[in-house]
Amino acid sequence: MKHLISLLIVLAVACAGPAEEPIQWMSIEADLQTLIIQAQDGDTIDIPAGNYMFENPLILDGLSNVVFQGQGIKETVLSFEMQTGGAEGIRAANCTNLVFQNFTIQDAPGDNIKVTDTEGIRFTNVKSEWSGEPSEENGAYAFYPVLCKRVIVENCLAIGSADAGIYVGQSDCVIIRNNEVYHNVAGIESENSRWVEIYGNNAHDNTGGILIFDMPGLTQSGHTTRVYDNDVISNNHDNFAPEGNVVAVVPPGTGIMMMATRNIEVFENRIHHNRTIGTALASYVLVEALGAEEGSQLEAANQKIDQEYDPYPNQVFFHDNEFKNKHWLPTLKNDFGLLFLTYFTFSLPDFAMDGILPPDKEFVMCLSNNGEFNFANIDAENDFENRSTDWSAYDCDSGTIEPIFQ
Amino acid sequence: MRIVVFIWIAALISCSQPEKKQPVIQKVSLGVEEMADYPKKLSEWNLFTEPMSDLIPKDAQTFPYEINAALFSDYAYKARFIKLPEGQSIEYHDTEVLSFPEQTVLIKNFFYPVDFQNPDAERRILETRLLIHEAKGWKAIVYQWNEEQTDAKRVILGKKVPVEWKDASGTLQRINYSIPSQPQCKSCHDLGGKLVPIGPSARQLNLEGQLTEWIGKGWLKAEGNITFPKLANYSNANETLDARARAWLEVNCAHCHRREGPAKNSGLYLLASQADPYRLGVNKPPIAAGKGSGGLKYSIVPGNPDQSILVHRITSLEPGEMMPELGRSLNHEEGIALVREWIEKME
Repeated sequence: MKHLISLLIVLAVACAGPAEEPIQWMSIEADLQTLIIQAQDGDTIDIPAGNYMFENPLILDGLSNVVFQGQGIKETVLSFEMQTGGAEGIRAANCTNLVFQNFTIQDAPGDNIKVTDTEGIRFTNVKSEWSGEPSEENGAYAFYPVLCKRVIVENCLAIGSADAGIYVGQSDCVIIRNNEVYHNVAGIESENSRWVEIYGNNAHDNTGGILIFDMPGLTQSGHTTRVYDNDVISNNHDNFAPEGNVVAVVPPGTGIMMMATRNIEVFENRIHHNRTIGTALASYVLVEALGAEEGSQLEAANQKIDQEYDPYPNQVFFHDNEFKNKHWLPTLKNDFGLLFLTYFTFSLPDFAMDGILPPDKEFVMCLSNNGEFNFANIDAENDFENRSTDWSAYDCDSGTIEPIFQ
Repeated sequence: MRIVVFIWIAALISCSQPEKKQPVIQKVSLGVEEMADYPKKLSEWNLFTEPMSDLIPKDAQTFPYEINAALFSDYAYKARFIKLPEGQSIEYHDTEVLSFPEQTVLIKNFFYPVDFQNPDAERRILETRLLIHEAKGWKAIVYQWNEEQTDAKRVILGKKVPVEWKDASGTLQRINYSIPSQPQCKSCHDLGGKLVPIGPSARQLNLEGQLTEWIGKGWLKAEGNITFPKLANYSNANETLDARARAWLEVNCAHCHRREGPAKNSGLYLLASQADPYRLGVNKPPIAAGKGSGGLKYSIVPGNPDQSILVHRITSLEPGEMMPELGRSLNHEEGIALVREWIEKME
């Protein structure tokens, strides 16, 4: 009997562990989906406080002037952890003036919220995350408006995306402001979008903080972006993007990266403690070559780019930014870190460019008023032969882009 | 001693439980009433004679049709019908879906023969999907059949139904068949933002004199002497490898992966008529694939199916990774083999 009791005690202790109050998950998906289908112009779909588990995606199609809201980020939690079908947790398409606000969405196997072909989409006070450790198994995008017009993402949190926390693709008239994004591969990414304002965000502890990219072969090319007053701090996280995705080439320790984009003004940002490159400017030619098979040459990469596409960045106005770096060494987890260590040992670049310029056009870039900073043109085209730390060619009074929204 | 062992086992079980991922989920009502915009039961549509499960149309304006290349739906068989309104006819189109008059109902029944070696014997119908052409456009609704096979009930939210059958090689197959939710219909049936039928185009319907017969019966209006275009039947070994693979890709992918489809953002277009290799995925990097890339760099690497994202995605069974996104929990082995061979032989 004594043995029995001691055994029980051992077991009781073993079982006790840190006793967390288990979350009481509820299911409302049939009712909620029915509400969404029946929503009329001007309706608000109100989700009560509580933790809700979903096995199916929620789909909003063809709605206009509808608000989809919870009772707050802490109060209303929608989890798609048990979802078995569909590529995103919430999918909205073909809507007009849609608002998502005041809830948390978690753990969809694909993207958390995708909004496509919608004119007027606003996310406000929404937390979109993959809970647990950042992992390649996480979904690609926490917020994913694509092919939209008039997009606002504000006061939101994006955490743990294996691609980008806030990703806006092939969209027009976009505001991304006052968000906090961390533990994503890319904190914020604007891709092939036009007339974009990115300001007041806190992008920290991602692989790369803020990316402005232009990719080939899509429905539109991007241009005209203003990036200002953002905190871009310590984006030194490992890159956990599955290979093949363009963000998989972003070196850990990247603050801001611009690729193949035109007409962009980046100013008054605080770009601190990003170990490898505070700000990078690259052509798609370099990115394609980096992502391609081993031994691939720039020329081969060039041939793979479609004809209508312009792979070179241009009209870059970069001024009044503040660089700080407490790190003495770049991260050595990628080629860039090694490259910089080899060539720029004691002056790790705050601003680096690949030096691959448009062959047939004037290249315009102005760097001004960015305080003391280290510059590097790595001359990737010529195997780094004419690499340089001299930026006097780009020391010009900045052009500016008129505020897009008045 | 026996008691000790018993307690020990009980304790083990209670210990291991918290590690299980499946949370207890409590169903909660939001006080929403059932939707009443369409009949709750399939029988109310009055489409088939009794017993309904024989799927014999009630009137002469409701007739079955066949297509050349079918979308893979976990090996389910499909019985398709068109219900034309009295005295009306379909208008011909040479590339897109034919133009159906208002009040047309397209009916698609999904079923599994108990034994695929004897498909005309006993079968189990799982669902019937209706596409209804109204003045405001097409509507999609879904009915789930009961166990007794006497009627089907409307479903709004997706359902998983366990089903089993003996496949063509005599092996017992078991899956959780997935009936889509009503709004999921438009995830595929979407052309330029509008809900539309996908299947019944002249290219699909051009088999065994079907279209000529319809013209004869007054169901189809077509001017002059038309040579009907034709989409290959991907199962027909007499067709060329290219025609078969392209037909398979079109029916399984191009409802989204076309310029006007919901996956246009990917820039990957897979209609059989697509002539630009880059658009078809040759040496094209993925755009928003996430883990769907499978760590690979291009949609199609000529000569190398194992390095092609396209093959990875049609072979994956993970949500968020698999393609198509909906409608399968199994791989279409024959289709995968076909696409692999096509890429293998591509230069």
